[in-house]
Amino acid sequence: MSRTVTIVGAAGIPCGRVQTAPGLDLQVLEHEVLAGCVLDAVAQAGIDKASIDAMVFCHPRPYTQQLYFGTFMANYLRLPSNGVVMEVVGNGMTGGLAFDQAAQMVASGRAEVALALGVNFETAIGSAEHMNRSMRATGDVAFHTPFGFTPISWYAMDAMRYMHETGATRAEIASVAVKNRRHAALNPLAQYREPVTLDEVLAQRPIVEPFGLFEVPPRSDGAACIVLASEAAARALGRPHARLIGRGFHHEGSHQISEVPSDMIAFNAAVRAGAQAYQAAGLQPADVDVAELYAPCTIVEVLVSEALGLTPRGRGAAEAAAGETSLGGRIPICTSGGLIARGHPPFITPLYSYIEVFEQLTRGAGERQVPGANIAMAACELGNYNAALVHLLEAAA
Amino acid sequence: MNINPMPRLVMTGTRPFPPAQSAFTQRFWQGLDEGQFLATHCPHCDRLAFPPKPFCPHCWQRSVQWRAIEPRGVLYSATTIHAAPKVFGAEAPYQVAIVDLRASLRIATRLLGNTPTAQALDHEVELVVLAYEDGPLFAARLPDSP
Repeated sequence: MSRTVTIVGAAGIPCGRVQTAPGLDLQVLEHEVLAGCVLDAVAQAGIDKASIDAMVFCHPRPYTQQLYFGTFMANYLRLPSNGVVMEVVGNGMTGGLAFDQAAQMVASGRAEVALALGVNFETAIGSAEHMNRSMRATGDVAFHTPFGFTPISWYAMDAMRYMHETGATRAEIASVAVKNRRHAALNPLAQYREPVTLDEVLAQRPIVEPFGLFEVPPRSDGAACIVLASEAAARALGRPHARLIGRGFHHEGSHQISEVPSDMIAFNAAVRAGAQAYQAAGLQPADVDVAELYAPCTIVEVLVSEALGLTPRGRGAAEAAAGETSLGGRIPICTSGGLIARGHPPFITPLYSYIEVFEQLTRGAGERQVPGANIAMAACELGNYNAALVHLLEAAA
Repeated sequence: MNINPMPRLVMTGTRPFPPAQSAFTQRFWQGLDEGQFLATHCPHCDRLAFPPKPFCPHCWQRSVQWRAIEPRGVLYSATTIHAAPKVFGAEAPYQVAIVDLRASLRIATRLLGNTPTAQALDHEVELVVLAYEDGPLFAARLPDSP
């Protein structure tokens, strides 16, 4: 007894620097900002407040003053629920898990309408200070962290291995950043909207080799709310919506690296999650019209596009450089600008993917609109794609 | 199999982020201080595990034994970290690596020597002990490194 799930509304603030420094007289409060997103998304959907029966929150950053954030928000919004009010966490996948759990609430019939929502404020904390904490999330505190691995150092090692195995060039991989800036220029929610050239990307100060500043994610704050509804509720609203038609998840049972040597750059979790989603939807990779892929570094977009079958194995960087993954290309990827240019508030980043997918499928993406977009994919991950969560959606009127 | 002790490099100062140790895993760090690289071995399914665990992650049997493994392997990947966590700031830039040991275990560690390039991948490396004032760490090095 599983019901079809739809997205009927989605709203977020532009990614950027929003968090106020500790100690300022006037603070920007996370709950005020998120409540604004809820009201925007619910107004866009045209639903009644009373029809909402579940809220699944992204767990906020440890820097957030208000603890027990989800239950506090239920009070702040004065929203009683019969379904569930809860917070989820899963590193970069957190926003995807919130969406997935909200979808489960609707699919199971426990809620007619459910919200997946969250706020991630962290930019008032310097990067070096922030990494003192995040390095403990992306490594074993006994056997990795003492060596100084940073979250994105694992992706950098993916890039080194990829170049070694495929002969892909630095320029081909870096072209992903140029493409994503070009897309972000058309997205009002994006943090970095000025176009950059390939030479500028390659000339940036090194962060983690081979990457310079423009091939790694920025620090971002953000807040977003997605409104999910049963298909019956969506039809009653009479507005364009996005129908969830496939879902896949796989955790490979390893953390950053597998102690049993494996092909690290195959992104096996994405391969398996993608296969599940394609099978559920009865679709092939070639059927996808637009894809929002969680990719903190240029190489990650290359590797996950290959793992999900959107580009041929070993050719993802070359295809990006040839424009195949750009707006107007064969399979536009990260039309929002992706993590690198749209922005990356980590605990809610996938929520911005669902906003983009919703806008593309309801013809609301403005200058970024992929003409005739009917099937869209959203994928997110944690670790070094040790786990992947994939959703396929289609346009519905 | 007779395994030679790992080379020992004396380091000044203390470890920036001392590894968390348990009553079980302290055997690994004691062994490392003596020049041995220890993994846990499962007599039930005959597989090795690293990091060492008080059970076999493959078959979940608890009767594991310590086993010294050969501190050699090949460089699977590597990078140089320029933007470092605050506690490692004084060491930046520094190199880290993923190494596939001959015992078919993949580990992550520091890499000593010059900036890695994609050409250095798949080359042989050896593990060495970094003897800090407060205890040991380990690192990989290419044969031509100091």
